[in-house]
Amino acid sequence: MGILIGQSLVNAVLLSGMLALVALGFSIVWGVLKIINLAHGSFIMLGAYVTFTLFSLYHVDPFLTIPVSMLALFLLGYLIQTYIVNWVIRAPLLVTFLLTFGLDIILINLALFVWQGDVRSVSPAYAGTGLTLFRDPVTSQGVQVPYVRLAAFAISLVLAGLLYLFMSYTKLGRAIQATGQDKDAAQLTGVRVAPTYALTFAIGAALAGAAGSLISVMQPFDPNMGGGYRLRAFIIVVLGGLGSIPGVILGSVLFALVDVLVGISPLAPLKDGVAFAMLVLVLIFRPTGIAGKAFY
Amino acid sequence: MSEVILATVSVSKHFGGLAAVDRVDMTLHRGEVLGVIGPNGAGKTTFVNVITNLLPITSGQVYYKGKEITSWPAHLIARLGVARTFQVVKPFKRMTVRENATVGAMYGAGGRGRSAAQAIRKAEEVLEFVGLGDQMDKQADQLTLAGLKRLELAKALAMEPELLCLDEVMAGLNLRETEAAMDLVREINRRGVTLLIIEHVMKAIVGVCQRVMVLHYGQKLAEGTPQEVLNHPLVIEAYLGQKFARRQAMGKA
Amino acid sequence: MSNLKPETPNLQSKKPMPVTRWDRLLGTRRNAVYLGACAVVLVVLLILPHMSLSGFVLTSLTTALLLAVRAQAWNFIGGYTGYAAFGNVAFYGLGAYGTAILMTKLHWPFFLAMLVGGLVATVYAVIVGLPVLRMRGQYFAIATLGVAEATRELVSSPQLSRLTAGPTGINLPFFRPAGLSGAAAAEAGSIFFYYVAMGLVVLVVLATWWLTRSKLGYSLVAIREDEDAAKMLGINTTWAKVAAFALSAFFTGLVGGHYAYWRTFILPEEVFNVRYTLEGILSAVLGGPGTILGPVVGGGIYDAVSTFLTFSKPFGIDLGQFHVTILGVFIVMVIVFLPRGVADFFGRRKLSWGMFLENVRQNRV
Repeated sequence: MGILIGQSLVNAVLLSGMLALVALGFSIVWGVLKIINLAHGSFIMLGAYVTFTLFSLYHVDPFLTIPVSMLALFLLGYLIQTYIVNWVIRAPLLVTFLLTFGLDIILINLALFVWQGDVRSVSPAYAGTGLTLFRDPVTSQGVQVPYVRLAAFAISLVLAGLLYLFMSYTKLGRAIQATGQDKDAAQLTGVRVAPTYALTFAIGAALAGAAGSLISVMQPFDPNMGGGYRLRAFIIVVLGGLGSIPGVILGSVLFALVDVLVGISPLAPLKDGVAFAMLVLVLIFRPTGIAGKAFY
Repeated sequence: MSEVILATVSVSKHFGGLAAVDRVDMTLHRGEVLGVIGPNGAGKTTFVNVITNLLPITSGQVYYKGKEITSWPAHLIARLGVARTFQVVKPFKRMTVRENATVGAMYGAGGRGRSAAQAIRKAEEVLEFVGLGDQMDKQADQLTLAGLKRLELAKALAMEPELLCLDEVMAGLNLRETEAAMDLVREINRRGVTLLIIEHVMKAIVGVCQRVMVLHYGQKLAEGTPQEVLNHPLVIEAYLGQKFARRQAMGKA
Repeated sequence: MSNLKPETPNLQSKKPMPVTRWDRLLGTRRNAVYLGACAVVLVVLLILPHMSLSGFVLTSLTTALLLAVRAQAWNFIGGYTGYAAFGNVAFYGLGAYGTAILMTKLHWPFFLAMLVGGLVATVYAVIVGLPVLRMRGQYFAIATLGVAEATRELVSSPQLSRLTAGPTGINLPFFRPAGLSGAAAAEAGSIFFYYVAMGLVVLVVLATWWLTRSKLGYSLVAIREDEDAAKMLGINTTWAKVAAFALSAFFTGLVGGHYAYWRTFILPEEVFNVRYTLEGILSAVLGGPGTILGPVVGGGIYDAVSTFLTFSKPFGIDLGQFHVTILGVFIVMVIVFLPRGVADFFGRRKLSWGMFLENVRQNRV
C-alpha cells in the first residue's frame, strides 16, 4: 500500500512537470493575446509527430529532436498568428474561439492525412529503464522512476525557468508582458503590437511542441491526442491563476496530484468529470486561482 | 417630518486594506434632493454601488423605507423602487432608444403586471419627457453623449422609482446642456421622486439640492444646506479650494 | 418644461451602420419579404417527400433540418444572451439517452419519450446552469465544454451502465408503422422522421419569435449588452440566463431524441461528440446570431457546404480525405470575413466586396 501511494506521488510529481510545460504555452497566449487557443492541443500533437518522424526515419534520439520541434512549431505559430489570428484579434471572444477551433480541425486533419490515424509511439532503447526507489528487499518491489519521465520532468523545469528569465529580464520579454497588460500603453512606448503578438503565440507554440516531443516518448499517441491536453491546460491555468508562471507550476502540481489519486480510486473512469468539477469549484470560490488575478 | 426613504448606518466598503467607504451614516427624506460631493476617489460612487448592492457591502446596514435591504440582491432593490444612473453611461448599445427605456419599464418598480406593450408605451412617455422623443428608433450607440445621458436617465425613470441616484449626470455637458439637465432634475423632483445626486458641478448642486453631504476618503466630512457646506472650512480645504471660497464670498460662484 | 432637443451633429456617424436587429427575422427591416420567402420554402419542404426523391436526399435534408434546430437552440443562450455555450452536445446526448432508455426499458411511445428526453436535458441545464452561468465569457465557454465532457463520461461510466449500457450503447426499436416492414417501412420511416424534423424547426422558430416579443427576450438582450446595467434595472439575471439555457437545452434534447429513434443506435462517443456543438454554433454564427431566422439559414448553408464537400467531386478531383480540412478552411474564412454572419449581407443596402474588407479592418490587430 505504501508503495502504491509512493508510486502515485512520484508519478504525480513527474507528470506535473510535463503538464506545466503543456499549460505554460497556453497560459501566455491567453494572458497576453487574451485568446483561448483551441489549437494548442494540435500544436502539442504536431510536436509529438515531429519527434516521431525524426526518430523513425532518421533514428534521431527523441530528446535531441526537441529543439527541432520547438523551432518548427515556433515558425508555424508565428505564421499562423501573423497571417490569420491577427486578423480577428479584436473580434469578440466567440469569433476567436471558433477561429482557433477551425485551425484545430485543419491541423488534425492534415496530420491524419500525412501520418494516418494509427496509434504511434516513440520507443528508444532506454525506454523502460529507470530507478527503483525504496526497494523492498523481500518482494523486490519499489517505486519506479523511469529515466525517460525523469528527464522529461527536468527538461520541463529547465524550459519553464528559461521562460521565466526571458519574460522577466529581457527587453522582448518585458515588451510581451507590457502588451499583455495594456496594449495601447505599450504601443505608446514603442512596442509594435503585431509582431509582439506573433512572438508570443510562437513561443506558446514552441513550448507546446516541446511538450509534444516529451509526451511522444512517454505514451502512445494519434492525431486526436490534443483534445485531452487542451482541457487540462485550461484547468491548470485557471487553478494556478492566469498571468503567473509560478501559478501554472503550482496548478500543475495540484492537478497532477488529483489526477493520479483519482486514477487509483474507484472514480477512475470519471477522471475528466472530477477535473471539471475541480474547475467549477475553483471558479466559484477562488476565481483568481492560487496565484493570479481574476480576469472576469 | 416626512418619511425617511433611505437610511444608512455605519456603511463601510473595504477593498483589501483600503476603506473606500468608511462608516457613513445618513438619512434621506421623501421628496428631498440630497447632493453628494467630494474629491475624486472620495467614495461617492462606491457608496451608491454598495447601497444598490452592485458591490457587496463590507459592514453596516442600509434601510429603505424602514425595511433593511442590506445585501438584498440588486434586482430586488431595484424593484423596490431604487434606480440609479451610471457615471460612465451604460446603454444597451444594440437596442434602440425605445427598447432601452422599455427594459426599465418592464422590470422596475412599476413593471409588475405590465405587459410588453404597456411597457413600450410607458417607455415612450418617459423618452418624450427627457427630450428623446424624436430619436426613439435610433440604435443607442448612435446617440451623442448628451443624448446618452438622457437615455440613461430615461431608463432609470421608466422604472418609476421612488429614489433616484444620479451619478455625475452633468459631466461632459456644456453650459446649455447643464441648464437643461438641471431643469429636468427639478421637474423629476417636483413629480415626487426623491433624489440623491453625486456631482462635481457646483452650480448644479447649489441650484438643485436642498441638502448636501460631503465625502472625503470614504468618510462623511460635512453635511448641511449647500450654503453651510460650501462655506465649511474643512470642505473648502479638502475639496473646493480657497479661490472658490473667495469667489463665493464675493458672490460670483 | 424640458423639451429641449439634444445637440445636433451626430459625431458618431462614422461608425458603420449596425445591421443585426434582434427582433427581426434576418436582422433587418424587410420582414414581409423574408416572411414570404419562408412561406414558399415551407411549402416546398412540405411537399418534397412526395416527389419520389432518393432516400439519400431525404436523409440529407433531415440532417440539415436537425442542424438548423440545434443552431437555433444555441441561439437562445449564445446569440440572444451573449453567453457562448460550447457544451450543448451534453443536452443532445441526454435527450438521446433519455429517449432511448424510455423506449427500450419502459416501452414508451416515441413522441412522449422524445419530449421527456428533452425535459431531462432541460432539468440538467437548470442544475448545471446555476453554478456555471455565474461565470462570464471565456470561462463560461470552457466550463460548458467541461460539462459536456463530464456528462459523456458519466453516461458511459460503469457505475451507470445498468441504466445506460455504458460504452456499448443502446439499440432502439425500429420504426414500424402498422403493417409495413422492410423497404416500405424504411421509406415510410424517412418521410416520418423528415416531417418530425420539420416540425421541430417550426417549433423552435416560433419559440424564438415569441421570445423576441416577450419580457424575457428583452431581458436577455439587455444582459448581453450590459449585465450590470440589466441588474440595476431590476432584471433577475440569474433566472433569465437559466431560462435561456433551459430553452436551449430543451430543443437540443429534442433533436437528440429524434436522432436516437432515427438511427436506432446510440453510442456515447457519438451523441456526446463535441463536433455537434461546434456545427451548431458555426451555423448560428454563419447565419447571424441574435436574429430569428439567421441560425436556420446558417444551418442550411453549412449543411449544404458540408455535404457538397463530402460527396461531390468538383473538377473531377476526389476531395475525400480533405473534405474536413476544407471545411476547417471554410470556417476560418467565414470567421475572418463575415464575423456577424450572413445576416450581415441582408442588412446592407449595397453589397460590395468592400464589406468583407471592412469586417476585417474592424477586427484586425
